[in-house]
Amino acid sequence: MPFRASISMLALLVSPCAASAADIEFWYGNIGTAEKAIVAACGAFNAAQQAHSVTCVGQGGYEPTMQKAIAAYRSGKHPVLIQFFDAGTLDLMLSDAVVPVEQAMPEVNWKDYLAGARSFYATSKGELYSQPYNGTTLVFYGNAELLAKARIDKLPETYEELAAVARKLKDAGVECPITTDGHPWRVLEQVAARHSVPIASRHNGYDGLDAEYTFNRGLIAEHLENLLRWRQEGLVKLDQDTRTGKYTAAFNSGECALMEASSGLYVDAFKALGDKVMVAQAPMYEGHKRYNTLIGGASIWLMKGHDEDRIEAARAFLDFIRRDDQQIEFTRATGNLPVTRSALELLQSSDKTRETEFATVDAGVRSLSAESTDDSRGIRLGFYMQFREIFQEETQKAFAGDQSMSQALDLAVARGNELLRRFEKTYSNVTLP
Amino acid sequence: MAMKQTYYTSGWHYALLVSPIIFLIGLFFYVPVGLAFFWSFFLERPFGGGSEFIGFANYARLLGDTTFWSALHLSGIFMLLAAGFGVAIALILALAADRDLRLSGAARNIILWPKAIAGASIGVVFTFIFNPHLGLLAPLSTLFPGVWNPRMDGTQAFLMLVVAQVWHGLPFNFIILLAGLQSLPDTLIKAAAVDGAGPWRRILDIQIPLITPQLFLAFVLEFVGTLVDVFGLIDTMTQGGPGGSTTFLIYKIYKDGFVAYDLSGAATQTVLLMIFVIAMVLLQFRLEKRVRYER
Repeated sequence: MPFRASISMLALLVSPCAASAADIEFWYGNIGTAEKAIVAACGAFNAAQQAHSVTCVGQGGYEPTMQKAIAAYRSGKHPVLIQFFDAGTLDLMLSDAVVPVEQAMPEVNWKDYLAGARSFYATSKGELYSQPYNGTTLVFYGNAELLAKARIDKLPETYEELAAVARKLKDAGVECPITTDGHPWRVLEQVAARHSVPIASRHNGYDGLDAEYTFNRGLIAEHLENLLRWRQEGLVKLDQDTRTGKYTAAFNSGECALMEASSGLYVDAFKALGDKVMVAQAPMYEGHKRYNTLIGGASIWLMKGHDEDRIEAARAFLDFIRRDDQQIEFTRATGNLPVTRSALELLQSSDKTRETEFATVDAGVRSLSAESTDDSRGIRLGFYMQFREIFQEETQKAFAGDQSMSQALDLAVARGNELLRRFEKTYSNVTLP
Repeated sequence: MAMKQTYYTSGWHYALLVSPIIFLIGLFFYVPVGLAFFWSFFLERPFGGGSEFIGFANYARLLGDTTFWSALHLSGIFMLLAAGFGVAIALILALAADRDLRLSGAARNIILWPKAIAGASIGVVFTFIFNPHLGLLAPLSTLFPGVWNPRMDGTQAFLMLVVAQVWHGLPFNFIILLAGLQSLPDTLIKAAAVDGAGPWRRILDIQIPLITPQLFLAFVLEFVGTLVDVFGLIDTMTQGGPGGSTTFLIYKIYKDGFVAYDLSGAATQTVLLMIFVIAMVLLQFRLEKRVRYER
């Protein structure tokens, strides 16, 4: 259509060119359902105004996004906005490659963010570094049909009850009562946060880079011993024990009855199991008060080294996706949680919360906005990705029977501390913001 | 009367012709290797800026790190097993296909085709084959629950990788060895047969000694391949697990550098791996000098 094309060219030429107009790039990591929602949000932003345009570029996963960002930043070709996942927070705070959103956009009411969503991305003094975006947290899933076999109609609230329920399920012929992958996000970080037990000294590293891991004693150690015992008893199946080799698939296929997992998995679970999916807050140990769980998912960071026009466009985009209606739409599409109070209140005041798309909001947000302490703010520990690998390696050996769980945790702590010391040295002349 | 063929008058023409490939090798091999050397002396921050020179401290740390040694140890055992089986089985197949039987032509083709499959695809297929619930050994798992589970058992995961790597390397080794066998003068073998040497005698005393150059080449390529090319198999089949039992050095480098942003640690291990590979190849070349080719 050459005629129409030339008309639109003409329109472009004569339209008043706003001084601050800019095309910017936003790199994100999600794939699947969340990616569709992100692309839709970008499209909505571009359609909603003429001043700026954003190009959203998928990088195929959180880890590749970080890798490419590092490479791009080192060669000076980085975009203005990048989505990074929770575990990369400390690296970015110390990178000198980002502008804290609170500095870049002082006019925004950042206090509106839910405590659990905010503290993970804020400094120990409370300054927010990035804008929380796709927020998830740990929730507890159950399969009503399998639970009904053991005449159970509600999800257990404590681990003690959970063990009893699992035994009943086993007796009722459910081969796999509980499933997990033993990932530290689920069995270490979230358990520690909601019991307000630190996994490392200095409030999980918030007070300085000289922190040390401490989870090889106390509640966390007991929890992992329990998991090991429950697995030996046949109550817990790991990824490796399930037919599909993946705990979420084992739950979705009806092989397993219970799992602790991200609220973001609800969409898939509902697609597979429909009304049979039950959701609640993750269980606690008896005699402990419940504190907040940590936010999962990712936040958006504003990167340094761009001119004012592009920063302006980035601000406009961040403002747009922070809007209540945008957050609610994102929640609907992905099962993620709204991350600001105003969006949450708007959602709760509507009757949407009864719709299945919003089924995790109640449990998730209650979990995320429970009372917070210095030990439930988040994780601020160096080389944390490498530590997660170490933790899994050592505990897997314990699950396989090659060493005891206490040996595994001692080794994980020792190897983790070695990483922390090296990280401290790498940033020897930098103070933690 | 040797006839000297020259197409270009000046040596510079040749230099010009090879310069693109030299440039590419430089860009994609020597520069990264140089950078790895450079970073191995620093504590390198992921986003750059303010990296600190620490001399050989990275090396000292790694050489005192048990996980590094365990990764190297695993790589070494894997190298011996996979290369050994890879070349031995290829040799048997090549000897079989070399015979003038009715279907050996077809057999040659069939054995060559798998060469066209990428390592990662092989990984995916073998993961299915070795799946404890659906795969080839699944009946074993139903009879004795838990007896076959490479997702949980490190030794089984390791063996699974050996099988996949051997399968992966087979066609190429087969081509090399078969080409070697087919280039042997027919008269030698026929003369031996006339002298009363049976098939085993002919293989042991004539064919194998005469293809030592090909065997040597296959071994060198397999050694390097098992250390470096195994990456795709690990990434698709085991991701280094369970419990680190298949975290070979090449995979540890990837994990440390690209997943954990520990650039200095990964760079140092890259240098050490390279030294290890070079040492292995040099060792083989030294051994080769001792071999007296029967030609």
